[in-house]
Amino acid sequence: MNKKFEMATVRVQRFNPDTDKKPYLQEFQVSTEGDPTLLDALQQIKSTTDGSVTFRRSCRHAICGSCAMNVNGRNILVCHEPLKKHLDGGGRVTIRPLPYLPIIKDLVVDRTSFWKQYLLIKPWLVPPDDVPEKEFRMTPQEVEDLNSAEHCIMCGACYSACTVVGMTKEYIGPHALLKEFMRVMDPRDTIPEQRLETVGGSNGVARCHTVFNCIDACPKHLDPTKAIETLRRLYGKRQALEEERKKRQETL
Amino acid sequence: MAEANTITHDVIIVGAGLAGSWAAMTAAQKGVKDIGVLSKLHPLRSHSGAAQGGIAAALNNVRPVPDTGPRGPLEQIPPGDEPVDSWELHMFDTIKGSDWLGDQDKIEVLVKEAIDILYEYEHMGCVFSRTPDGRIAQRRFGGHSAPRANYAADWTGHVLLHTIHEQALRHGVKFYSEWYLLDLIVEDNVCRGVVAMNILDGSIHTLRAKAVMFATGGYGRAFKITSNAFANTGDGVAMAYRAGVPLMDMEFVQFHPTGIYRHGILMSEACRGEGGYLTNSEGERFMERYAPEKMELAPRDLVSRSEQTEIDEGRGIGPDKQGIYLDLRHLGREKILNRLPQVREIAIDFTGTDPIDNPVPIQPTAHYSMGGIPTTVNGQVIADAEGTPLTGFFAAGEVACVSVHGANRLGSNSLLEASVFGRRAGNAIAQFIQDGAELQPINGDPAQKNRQRIQAHLDRSGPELVDEIAQELKETMTNKCGIFRNEAKLQEAVSKIQELKERLKTAKIMDKSSRFNTDLLAGLETEHLVTFSEVVVAGALARTESRGAHARTDYPERDDENWLKHTVAHKGEDGPSFSYKEVNIDWDRYPPQKRQY
Repeated sequence: MNKKFEMATVRVQRFNPDTDKKPYLQEFQVSTEGDPTLLDALQQIKSTTDGSVTFRRSCRHAICGSCAMNVNGRNILVCHEPLKKHLDGGGRVTIRPLPYLPIIKDLVVDRTSFWKQYLLIKPWLVPPDDVPEKEFRMTPQEVEDLNSAEHCIMCGACYSACTVVGMTKEYIGPHALLKEFMRVMDPRDTIPEQRLETVGGSNGVARCHTVFNCIDACPKHLDPTKAIETLRRLYGKRQALEEERKKRQETL
Repeated sequence: MAEANTITHDVIIVGAGLAGSWAAMTAAQKGVKDIGVLSKLHPLRSHSGAAQGGIAAALNNVRPVPDTGPRGPLEQIPPGDEPVDSWELHMFDTIKGSDWLGDQDKIEVLVKEAIDILYEYEHMGCVFSRTPDGRIAQRRFGGHSAPRANYAADWTGHVLLHTIHEQALRHGVKFYSEWYLLDLIVEDNVCRGVVAMNILDGSIHTLRAKAVMFATGGYGRAFKITSNAFANTGDGVAMAYRAGVPLMDMEFVQFHPTGIYRHGILMSEACRGEGGYLTNSEGERFMERYAPEKMELAPRDLVSRSEQTEIDEGRGIGPDKQGIYLDLRHLGREKILNRLPQVREIAIDFTGTDPIDNPVPIQPTAHYSMGGIPTTVNGQVIADAEGTPLTGFFAAGEVACVSVHGANRLGSNSLLEASVFGRRAGNAIAQFIQDGAELQPINGDPAQKNRQRIQAHLDRSGPELVDEIAQELKETMTNKCGIFRNEAKLQEAVSKIQELKERLKTAKIMDKSSRFNTDLLAGLETEHLVTFSEVVVAGALARTESRGAHARTDYPERDDENWLKHTVAHKGEDGPSFSYKEVNIDWDRYPPQKRQY
């Protein structure tokens, strides 16, 4: 944290493909009065200096997943991080779009491949045809075993930190694998074998290089690497898991 | 009409939070094949996901441990033991919370269907927290006389939103992410479609549909201190109003008692539900003076007024004495980490305070819009105080005013309302389509008209910037039309808004490009803020009583003789004109009472 600067220099990567040949950095001076967040700083630039500076944002408290960006080389959500924390010795911070994705404009990236993989793994639960009159009796332990995967906000910080994604967009990616882990582990889901076959293929769990970038990047402190490890282990016993699941559902 | 830019669906739904996604999924389940859902964000960014503490339903999974008092521990109800809760009790709490302005026939629908919709969420994969025997976990919430806020840690809205979005995808609903609504097309009291912009390239399209539904959310962004997302600019209410649809009870805006000091970001009511205290600069639990029985778990309007009174009388905390402390320390580390992980992070991120070790500075924050587009219990929009339906137009969620919340909403009833009435609207829309609804002709070229309108916006030369207008409006709404109101302040707000309306006509939009122009969107959103704020203020000025969230210092009492009625605002040449609609009351069961906690 660097407290001495009254003004900060915010360097924003600009790029409008309609008018610019390539991305460039533009500097803006922003007041640090009132201890603004990085998002407040961007908002200040946009509303008072240059309205064409473009970025996504909505909730302001790290739950909607809109504002993941690359700040000084790390993928973070700009809404919940103080500007001062990210200033270097010269009072500067550099904000770029998430890496490995096409740029739509400035800090807004094209997430088509990200959502394509999300759809590929069937993020929805496929429950049994017969449902109980009240709730399924899922135990507190079974909830805990999901390892808070349900808290994932699909911000893409992990996806754009993954070196495998950098090499190929065919890779399912840490976000979708984490979601698939959550479904496979859920005692209410009826298709764990099919799910494991989806992620057991050449673009799935086998591609993870265990570099742990996804864990470092996750603003929710989730652990996609561990989820991928679990899926890898369960892939080998997918038929047994399916049988086990059927039995579990008799008492669910 | 420029057919090249025309898109056609059986059903267009605008907004992809809980209400919109429930409606889409339900209509799809009922066999409607051709549904398009527009959202100015990606659907998973919708503000429903920011709700934290719980969703109300009398499931009877837990009860207070006998003889431990109103704030003691909870336990699962052993099989075969007597229930502690019922939909009737939930109904009474909601009526009392609404200060008798909620329509009782509609509240009955809400609380009865609550039970079933909770199980439906669970069956669709929602990851709830659990009791030891595997039932959905429940906690206490303000104004509820039994522990009936069903929760998933403190990210309940998030898991509900993801669950319903996933299921809508499973049922083949088509989503248009990052499309912005520009116009509602209504002719001869029949809705015929909408005009919208694809934000990605700025192209403007007419979207024709047999049925249109708005699920565009609330209007909290008109206030300086708010818990609301940037997106909550009341686009739907403003656009409907502009198209001649009336708005109901707009003066009722809820201020949540625990927004992060100076930021307004929400610290869930679950903080108090789990046992948190509110204290002033003297270290007093001041709620003793205002709600001796319910204390911190009184309804939000009452707690926010109590906080504001403490602040106004000089007992606030912080450098400017405009804050209050939320003290969670006595809950202990384990409970905070397990039950309130998200709010702990929020406190650390925005105040540098870990609630495990220190009290967190908070203040009241504009949170929820009780008012909106008037609808029937099936989401059918009504065109006047007499209840004439506006054919083909539906609404649900925070944009709508059914009204189940009346003058003040109880916490955990909003996720419920969006879900129950979203589902009901989905059913009604499916019925409407299957009864043979047809595409209706559209006069002229609304897309072209809107292209000209947008160009005129982009051509404005300033020198003022749009944001200056937006900031002044927010200051005005917070200071003059906030927790405590009176005639003088509201009159000032009326003239200020007139002035801002004029100034906005020339205020400059800096970004002139067509690609992903969020500066243009901010310009349009500011226009919406000004449009509906005029209605909020005029309604507040007209209502010479205090009821629920509407507190007039010059009329401090509730006045059932003159004001037990809904405000219906109609757009006129010189601002809104009002008619009034009767409140549905079951005089035998739930006649108005004095509201004490």
